[in-house]
Amino acid sequence: MGKKTYWGIIIATIIINVVMLQWTVEAFLGREYDVLFTYNIISLISAGVALFSYFQWRKVEYTK
Amino acid sequence: MTCKKKLGRNQKDTNDDMINLVDNLNREDDLKYNRRAFLKTAVGTSVALGVATIPFSVKAMLGMEKDYERVEITKLADLPEGESVVFNYPTEKDPALLVHTVNGDLKAYNSACTHLMCPVFYEKEQDVLLCPCHAGYFDVNNGHPTAGPPQRELPLIEIEVDNGIVYAVGRQYRHG
Repeated sequence: MGKKTYWGIIIATIIINVVMLQWTVEAFLGREYDVLFTYNIISLISAGVALFSYFQWRKVEYTK
Repeated sequence: MTCKKKLGRNQKDTNDDMINLVDNLNREDDLKYNRRAFLKTAVGTSVALGVATIPFSVKAMLGMEKDYERVEITKLADLPEGESVVFNYPTEKDPALLVHTVNGDLKAYNSACTHLMCPVFYEKEQDVLLCPCHAGYFDVNNGHPTAGPPQRELPLIEIEVDNGIVYAVGRQYRHG
């Protein structure tokens, strides 16, 4: 994948995580614990994808 | 050609705009604030946002609510229509409101406003629950917000009337 693809993925993960954090807080305040755990898992997967994309981007970016 | 006849930018030690075009560039800033640094910050932000959801799950796991106790609130005879009484349920830290509406129904909700936790009061004239802090209105029949800043309904206290005494027996957070 190209560098721009990694940029896109990382920006997308930020958007997902902002939404998930908002929904998590809402679910927590509403005591909707089942969906809260779902949002939490999605958020952590998204963070993992962001990290993985970053390492892949770094490999491409710093290769001569 | 004498110095005076030269264009401004060609004169000695000139401060002409067309000279020293790189003066506004700061090498340190250039190294610090660039495309790569931006992406690294973006990744950090994404991970931080992801990790920020963990405490909510941990707190949810630790604070799972157990079965509710049956707690006496008041005698029905002491609560005429159009009146309300304050009590605490399920713990002493959870203020609640039992309302005997003008229609004769008994309704009970936790009275902390879902906006900023101000206490909610029963307005007999309009038959609504009102949070005076920011003018939040709740429907007394279902606890859902009807006007103002609150977005979520008030937690519903399940009640039972037994031998003329009103008891609180449970609580629902999301209802209706």
